[in-house]
Amino acid sequence: MIEVKGVSKFYSQKKALDEVSLNIEAGRIFGLIGPNGAGKTTLIRILNQIIEPSAGQVLIGGILLNPLHVKAFGYLPEERGLYREMKVLDHLIFLASIRGLYHQDAQKAAKHWLEKFEIMPWSKKRIDSLSKGMAQKIQFIGSILHDPQVVILDEPLSGFDPLNIQLILNEIKAMKEGGKTIIFSTHNMNSVDEICDEVGLINHGKLVAHDKVSALKTQHKTGAFKVRYKGNQIAFANALWTGFELVSTEEIGDQWFQSVIRSRQGQTFNDVFSSLSPALELHLIEEQLPGMQDVFLKLVTDSTP
Amino acid sequence: MRNSLLIAFRELKERWDNRSFRAMLFLGPLLILSLIYLVLESGNQGVTSMKVLIADPTNLFENKIASRPSESVTYFFYDDYIEFESFKNSPKFKEFDALIELNEKVLINKKVFLFHRQEPNLQLKMKLKFEVERRMEEVMIEQFTTLGVDDFRKIKQPLNIDFRNVDDPYNQADQGIAWVGYSLGYLMIFFIAIFGTNITKSINREKTNRISEVILASVKARELMLGKIFGNLIASFLQLFIWLLLVGIGLWLLQAVIIPELFTPEHLTGVQVSDQQLKELGMQTISQENNNLDLIYHRINYLWVIPNFILFFLGTYWIFASFFTIMGAMSGDESDGQQFLIPIWILLTLTIFAGYNTLSYPESDLTQFFSFFPWTSGMVSMIKITVGVTVTEYLGILFAWLIQVLVGTIFMLLAARIFKHGILSYSHRFSVKLFFDWLKK
Repeated sequence: MIEVKGVSKFYSQKKALDEVSLNIEAGRIFGLIGPNGAGKTTLIRILNQIIEPSAGQVLIGGILLNPLHVKAFGYLPEERGLYREMKVLDHLIFLASIRGLYHQDAQKAAKHWLEKFEIMPWSKKRIDSLSKGMAQKIQFIGSILHDPQVVILDEPLSGFDPLNIQLILNEIKAMKEGGKTIIFSTHNMNSVDEICDEVGLINHGKLVAHDKVSALKTQHKTGAFKVRYKGNQIAFANALWTGFELVSTEEIGDQWFQSVIRSRQGQTFNDVFSSLSPALELHLIEEQLPGMQDVFLKLVTDSTP
Repeated sequence: MRNSLLIAFRELKERWDNRSFRAMLFLGPLLILSLIYLVLESGNQGVTSMKVLIADPTNLFENKIASRPSESVTYFFYDDYIEFESFKNSPKFKEFDALIELNEKVLINKKVFLFHRQEPNLQLKMKLKFEVERRMEEVMIEQFTTLGVDDFRKIKQPLNIDFRNVDDPYNQADQGIAWVGYSLGYLMIFFIAIFGTNITKSINREKTNRISEVILASVKARELMLGKIFGNLIASFLQLFIWLLLVGIGLWLLQAVIIPELFTPEHLTGVQVSDQQLKELGMQTISQENNNLDLIYHRINYLWVIPNFILFFLGTYWIFASFFTIMGAMSGDESDGQQFLIPIWILLTLTIFAGYNTLSYPESDLTQFFSFFPWTSGMVSMIKITVGVTVTEYLGILFAWLIQVLVGTIFMLLAARIFKHGILSYSHRFSVKLFFDWLKK
């Protein structure tokens, strides 16, 4: 488990992080989100021991973060680069070696991943001869080659085509299943929705929210329900009475409608069902939870001074 | 340390994979050997004919010397002493190109001075030496022995003819060996400039392609910096070692295989003589008559000079490397890096000037200052070491080296502070404020 305790970071007069505290459970995918300049990269750099916090501490499994943890971390930064004049295999072996792997182990791991990503035929090519997509795969492999327990991925999907996005997402899920902890920083809220278990949202250097994705969505639910039914619209409106507000209605067949309603007094699924079932032939009632995009916008707007 | 070595070897491999680096491993020694060949050949420059006045107050030679008249040398005799200043300045002797002094002690001390207005070429020197020696033999046989010429030559001591310029009668201007020191110092600065620039470029490249963040997640900034410095040091040593080895082999090949005629007595004297005759005439060290040949093959104590060269190379590289590192870390991009190198080039130029100043004014106050100024002491020390130093002087030189290492270490610590912040800063504009901010952090 990673524990961030009261971490602050100052750059000259500017406070990049302001007493951020959070816990990241092992074997989870943790989404680190926030607007540009919020302090995410600063926190990531602190976790990677690239910079030191001005105050606070980071504990890994109860032990203060120290150079021995380097091998346990893998990092794909947003501003990522490669030694363009090096050969693919040499580059990967070098990256794994500075993470503590012996040459032979590094070579074995590099070959394994190159084969898995179907780029083995390019192993002897110079990196500057690769396509952009292939170079990005090399960068991704470089961050996980040494089989780290914690993988920090900063915008890992940017620049990939949809096929490769799925490939990377699948790998991330597989790593989670393998018991690894993944810290996933992105602006793509759909991918947060898809793969993250928990998120931490940072704005203006402060941790604004930290919870499970489902919990955050529930916290920010608007009381909206999607209802599909057969019957009369007047009967539907009467059944809603004063407890619900009709947001929209769409005719999807002969006397067959789909509407979105919003509760006025915190009514639950059961309340919706008991109100509507006597008057209509119900086909579907579904509570409409907000997407992470909506949650993100709401939280950022609320927390911006 | 392991990480620094891994980075160092990656840097080394990057240099090795560069075709121009590999090409220069062999082209460099070839250029140096070509230069040496030119220097050796230039050692044979000088006038080819002379009017020589022999001052023979005791009439030792009896107005006789060469058995046959020659186009290159015409001898004239003068039966009195000639003051050196008189020969140099008097209109009476202006027509003569050289003066040979035969004083009353010449038969005992076997030493003759030849003062020339212009340096004779090697062949002419050897001809003069050969003819004076032959005549001296005849005189000695007549006066002191009943032995035949062949038997006498077996037992006699060779004559020593000392060639001196009338403008430098005490041979003070012989700076050949000092120039060797200067050349070694220059070579040192040359390598430091090339490989130091590579440090700056390498840092800039890593900032430009953003790999530095990946590397810094695995290694400390200090390890990355030292890895770069060591990597370029190993690359420069590798190149230097291969250059020295190939130049050494080349010098041997020049002497033994490629142009052995350059080293033969016939080439040097222009006189057809056997080895035995040369030995009898005391000319077994004939190559010493070619000053440059003598300098390169005899007068430089390589076993003394090379270890000291390595020592000062390390010290000077250490102190300059910190500057090259700071410049790389301070710059926002590669074009910035080029501009920031200008102050270092000025410092390197100062080092070249310090060497020249040492050659011209070895005892001046400025030379004393340059001897201990850490950026220039390597160059000055190389000149001193090559010329020769006493134990006390050498201790002073070692002290200068210690200063160099200490000051270099202080600058390296400052460089590490700048590097730590600079390596993660991209596309910024350089400012003095930024420099001090990073230094303070």
